Amino acid sequence: MSLVSIRRGATVVSLAAVMSLGLAACGDGSGGSSGSGDTLTIGASLPLTGDFSQPGKAAEQGYKVWQSMVNADGGLLKKKVELKVKDDASNQNTIVADYNALISKDQVDLLLGTFSSLLNLPASAVAEKNQMLYVEPAGGSPDMFSRGFKHLFFAQQATADKQGLVFADWVKSLPASQRPTTAAYPTLDDPFAAPNVDGIRQVLEGAGIKTVYKTTYAIDTKNFDSIVAAMKAKNPDLVVHGATFEDGVGLTRAMLKAGFTPKMFYETSTPSFADQYTKAIGEGNTEGVMYAVSYSPDADTPGNKEFVAQYKKMYGSSIPPEDAADAYAAAQVMQAAVEGVGSIDDQTKLADWLRGHTVDTILGPLSWNADGSPKSEFLIGQWQKGVAEVVLPPDLATAKPEIGWHPSS
Amino acid sequence: MTELVQTLVLSLLLGGVYALVASGLTLIFGVMRVINIAHGAFLILGAFIAYTLWHALGLDPLVGVLVTTPVVFAIGWAIYHGLVRPIRNAPMSSTVLLTFGLALVTEGVMGFVWGNDSTAITPSYVDTSFHVGGVFLPKAQVYGGIVAVVVLVALWLVLTKTWLGRAIRAAAANPASAELVGIKVTSVAALVFALGLAAAGAGGAITGVLYPFVPGSHYLWIARLLAIVVLGGLGSLEGAVLSALVFGIAETVTAVYVSPAWATAVPYAIVFAVLLIRPQGLLGTRLRDDAVTA
Repeated sequence: MSLVSIRRGATVVSLAAVMSLGLAACGDGSGGSSGSGDTLTIGASLPLTGDFSQPGKAAEQGYKVWQSMVNADGGLLKKKVELKVKDDASNQNTIVADYNALISKDQVDLLLGTFSSLLNLPASAVAEKNQMLYVEPAGGSPDMFSRGFKHLFFAQQATADKQGLVFADWVKSLPASQRPTTAAYPTLDDPFAAPNVDGIRQVLEGAGIKTVYKTTYAIDTKNFDSIVAAMKAKNPDLVVHGATFEDGVGLTRAMLKAGFTPKMFYETSTPSFADQYTKAIGEGNTEGVMYAVSYSPDADTPGNKEFVAQYKKMYGSSIPPEDAADAYAAAQVMQAAVEGVGSIDDQTKLADWLRGHTVDTILGPLSWNADGSPKSEFLIGQWQKGVAEVVLPPDLATAKPEIGWHPSS
Repeated sequence: MTELVQTLVLSLLLGGVYALVASGLTLIFGVMRVINIAHGAFLILGAFIAYTLWHALGLDPLVGVLVTTPVVFAIGWAIYHGLVRPIRNAPMSSTVLLTFGLALVTEGVMGFVWGNDSTAITPSYVDTSFHVGGVFLPKAQVYGGIVAVVVLVALWLVLTKTWLGRAIRAAAANPASAELVGIKVTSVAALVFALGLAAAGAGGAITGVLYPFVPGSHYLWIARLLAIVVLGGLGSLEGAVLSALVFGIAETVTAVYVSPAWATAVPYAIVFAVLLIRPQGLLGTRLRDDAVTA
């Protein structure tokens, strides 16, 4: 059956390389009109397909819920709000083209951010160059805020390196008999996930918890069995996993397959995907998994009940995913700045207004440093009996933290 | 020692699945000289069909191979006659562009039908393993590997022990001479294209159990599959199987003993190294026109 020429082999390799680049560069090339006198057009590009499609679609839902509620309330600056959402296919090149098109071709009036630091890094640079306000619902990498940008604001409570600190401090405070002595830190090579895990590791190493395994894997990793086999060989008490969604599901399932169930399991992002998470790994396997979370559907924050009700009306679930809530909060922050200034003509004024004010959102009150990074601290969630509870900090908790991961399978 | 055995076991289980999926791609190229960029998309289509059968009817996804294979075979047959046949004699770049477009359309259709949420097929055994000594063998990988081997052996028997297989090999080796002895090369090509996609359909039902997927997951597969068939020798079924095992071992060993961050890159480095020494691939054949132009 061996038939083919060397030149063809070389051609295939070249084509494969070209196609890999080309395939990755697909975006929504849809055009559109700029906002008219009676409307305000707000543009965003989200990862509706590709690796980040899960959070991207949730973020789109959050924006749409906000749009429907603000329009029902008379609009923004008494103008009807229109959303123009493009699909960046989870690709860094596409998102730059998308935001350039939103500004120059579609001539949108305002921008909203996208999902993940990976995509917000280039997208926010486009907004900064055009001096447009850029409130992002995700993108907590410290790298986001070290560039001296004046128009960038992160609409969550803390940057990635600080998101797990409440968890790390809690572990540190446990009695010696319950505290883990060894820990493993696998993480996605991602500007959000990696600093998140590093922040926790530094605190725990300082508390004497020995790091027995630490690794970073590429975004296209599908096979987690080998990582788990290596991790299992080290037998850590605690696993802290830096994940988005698919990789979080993949690693968790690989741990279950290997019969590797450490005493404690903390994972970024993935467990916050509510029913999508429980469907992916099985509800019984969620018991005891801990994670940082920005939002609780039960939170007694201004407008949260209305948000949950509208989300249920539009999408049928009374448990909005965290990313939908974050997107809604980002839109709330932008809305507060626009209404505070009373005009969108000079968006540097909108940014200055945000730096000087605290904004009440469904995530709680948010305020920012001069670089646009937020000043608050995250909640820590834990899955208990199939319910996502807030367990830390104690004053905002809906349940007490329980020690241990107890998967049923 | 246990860690090494564990690593090799996982390598072979991964390589077996790669072999099945890559076999269809190399088969299509061997006979038709068509680089099917849409191969990964039909792999994911197979996974979605298996998901629907499992979710709606409770059919085990590995049993679902019996459905996904003929369904994707039929789709492949139709695509060949509708799209590929008219440009069979066009330059290779035309078929690459055609199948690239086909991949995008298939991805769009899957997104429309099944949505872009991450999808996972989770039968009861998916999170369990056989434990032998200190080594674990994930049941899904073991069952998937067995199905992959069965399909590959069936494919090999068809190609080597039947008149149809002889016709396919004859059409691949020398289409003009095959026509002279009464083989309808066009019909053989249609059959091969459909068979190649059917292998992807079968592989999709298996990989759907092993990894979560979205319509866009085919991007990750196609680059890997092309590298596997090039390493094995374009058009060589045996080469694709050998290469897939090499790929599986390289990926897993690198992840365990070097770093998962290098697990994607190292197999490609091996491909380049092998091609420098043996440009026709591991089991590829160096033809006369290569010697002339080398």
